Amino acid sequence: MGEQKISYYKNSDLSSVKLATKDLKARFGKLQVLKGINLNFPENRVTAIMGPSGCGKTTLIRCLNRIHELTPGAKVEGEVILDGVNIYSPQVDPVSIRRRIGMVFQKANPFPTMSIYDNAVAGLKLAGVRNKEILDNLAEKSLRMAFLWDEVKDILKKPGTNLSGGQQQRLCIARALAVEPEIILMDEPCSALDPIATAKIEESIASLKKEFTIVIVTHNLQQAARVSDYTAFMYLGQLIEFGDTKDIFEYPNNSLTEKYITGEFG
Amino acid sequence: MEPKLKLKKDMLTTEYSLPTGISFWRKIVNKLMTVLVIIAVILAIIPLILILGDVIIKGAPALSIGFLTHLQKPPNVSGGGIANAIVGTFTMVGIAALISVPIGIGAGVFFSEWSSSKISTVSGFMNDVLTGFPSIVLGLFVFVIIVYPTKQFSAFAGGVALSFVMLPIIARTTGESLKLVPTTLREASMALGIPRWKTVLRVVISNGKNGLLTGILLSVARATGETAPILLTASTSIYFAKSIFQPTASLTVLIYNYATSPYASWQTQAWGAALVLILIMLGLNLLVKLTIGRNVAGKRMDI
Amino acid sequence: MAMSRIIDHGLEEQSVLITKMGELTFETLVLSVQGYLKDKSVQEEISEMSDTLSAMADKIDDKGFELIARFQPVATDLRTIKSYMKIGNDFARLGRYALDISFINDELGGLRECASWCKDDVKEMSEKVLETVGISIDSLRKHDMTLAKSISQTEREVDKMYVDYLQKLTGSEENNNKCVISSVLMTRYLERIADHATYVCESIVYVVTGEKITLS
Repeated sequence: MGEQKISYYKNSDLSSVKLATKDLKARFGKLQVLKGINLNFPENRVTAIMGPSGCGKTTLIRCLNRIHELTPGAKVEGEVILDGVNIYSPQVDPVSIRRRIGMVFQKANPFPTMSIYDNAVAGLKLAGVRNKEILDNLAEKSLRMAFLWDEVKDILKKPGTNLSGGQQQRLCIARALAVEPEIILMDEPCSALDPIATAKIEESIASLKKEFTIVIVTHNLQQAARVSDYTAFMYLGQLIEFGDTKDIFEYPNNSLTEKYITGEFG
Repeated sequence: MEPKLKLKKDMLTTEYSLPTGISFWRKIVNKLMTVLVIIAVILAIIPLILILGDVIIKGAPALSIGFLTHLQKPPNVSGGGIANAIVGTFTMVGIAALISVPIGIGAGVFFSEWSSSKISTVSGFMNDVLTGFPSIVLGLFVFVIIVYPTKQFSAFAGGVALSFVMLPIIARTTGESLKLVPTTLREASMALGIPRWKTVLRVVISNGKNGLLTGILLSVARATGETAPILLTASTSIYFAKSIFQPTASLTVLIYNYATSPYASWQTQAWGAALVLILIMLGLNLLVKLTIGRNVAGKRMDI
Repeated sequence: MAMSRIIDHGLEEQSVLITKMGELTFETLVLSVQGYLKDKSVQEEISEMSDTLSAMADKIDDKGFELIARFQPVATDLRTIKSYMKIGNDFARLGRYALDISFINDELGGLRECASWCKDDVKEMSEKVLETVGISIDSLRKHDMTLAKSISQTEREVDKMYVDYLQKLTGSEENNNKCVISSVLMTRYLERIADHATYVCESIVYVVTGEKITLS
């Protein structure tokens, strides 16, 4: 289906590869959702994965932190390489991987029985961290990074579900940041939010990439164009094109990509 | 009364006439259905009201502090009480809870977290069968496995029999409550690098605890009111049991014994005991409502 | 076959505008060149046409901005919009050159007082230049990349003609001021017209391939 031209980084971008997939395949029972993906995610950059519904982008991102395999009937083949190590090799503990690769989900899912403060540090508290000073520091740090601190600093003990949708999603981002991961995966984080809440989250992404590597799945083309440094386009379980966001949106190499971003199908 | 505003003929270009016949008929049917439904509710409640009324009227005379704190006495001797029966019932239900709550919750966790496996479906079915089992058969079973070999009726055996009554209820309600906890919360926890067992313990159970509590309290209420299994396992006694490996009195068996006796004073005490039992059940039901109510009021979202 | 998109209507409008503008540009240039060569005054007409061309360029710019603000176009759509705005400005410039030609025709009498070899050379050059403009408009109409790239050859010929004429003029005995100034200005304008026609073709190559190249 057309030439698959995968262009890598321009000479000016000296970013190294933080996470890479090698012939990654995934299925649900008999349905082959990913058909062999080879994708590199550059460090400290935002990579967007876009594509029409059913192209496998959500499955792909869920394979990156080994969440996909938690669904009954799900199978993964191939490799995902983090800093040179395949996270799917039998010696690797998935729990430890998930501490290094965090995830923000499509619909905000703060823990309803916990306060805002507890939600922010949930990953630490549940892991057994008790030192109040450490928890306080990390709570403030991660809430600041999620651009939520100013709005909640006086109501930290209130239930997490008292916040608006956009605030809840930022709380979930803070929760993911508090365990100090290296990579943050975001599965359509703004799809349930209004434009202003979306804009706040996009701003936070722009500042987060200085410390983290970010992968964001989105079905919103303009968001991919605004927020990412690199864009990958997927269709029917395959990677069609990958490159600089600027290049993809100005002159995509693959005609399928062109058709998708100009809205001929979607 | 003000005259109704009448539409003059020349205010409209077409003449409209309401089909009064049909709407009248519909109104009649509506009223009839409403009346029938109200009658049904009344008929359903009447027995409960009559029973309560009867128990209160007949049992109130027997109530006193002494009644609740003294041991049983022979008929026509004043100062008799049902203290040992109350203690016996609580003891056996307590033993039953100690056995059935941990096992029941564990089974419920299995039903919810491994719900897609075949074992889950099969054991779930078997669990539901056990729920509806005739309790006298459960008592018979415990008689065979504990009472007969030890040649001894005991409170322990009674507790075990009651645990068979409670276990399937707890397992099923726990399973269903935990299944209601959204998957996205489990995923959120796992995505933070929390191992599965901690996720289940600290996130899933904590979010489903209302349902768990309800299930436990309901099964306790059910067990408190059982007679047949206790009859075959704990028998009865006129004293406090000195250890759980001795027979003990219980409210339900005492009611059975006293009510079927020919003595009027004992019959009155039976009504008194029945009233106490019903008050305990009502208390437990109220506790359920209050527990859920309090937990819900402070939250935006109810799971 | 392809579902009509919400942006297509606006793109079509802009496309029609630029095509019409191209045709008008050609007419304007032909009129002014002919006026110059045949010693006819056409300044009034040319002035009107040039104004129309400026107005059309503005309209194309406005349309382009509207499409960008409203529809967030990408890829081919975006390149097309950008290029049309650029080409519109190039065409408007060509209109100004046409006006300049008609102006020097009226002020300095064109080639009236020139030797016949001047007349022939300038005529030949103007034909070549009109050819380049024709190529640019045709390749615009069809987004024809091959045709656009072929302007390279013709443009080089124009450049050569320009240099040759200047050399010939300085080496000749022609000393009529009006002729010299008029023909030098004319050939200068002609050379610039060819340059702008080339820019138009470069824009077309950019629309089709995304590459920015030079064709001269």
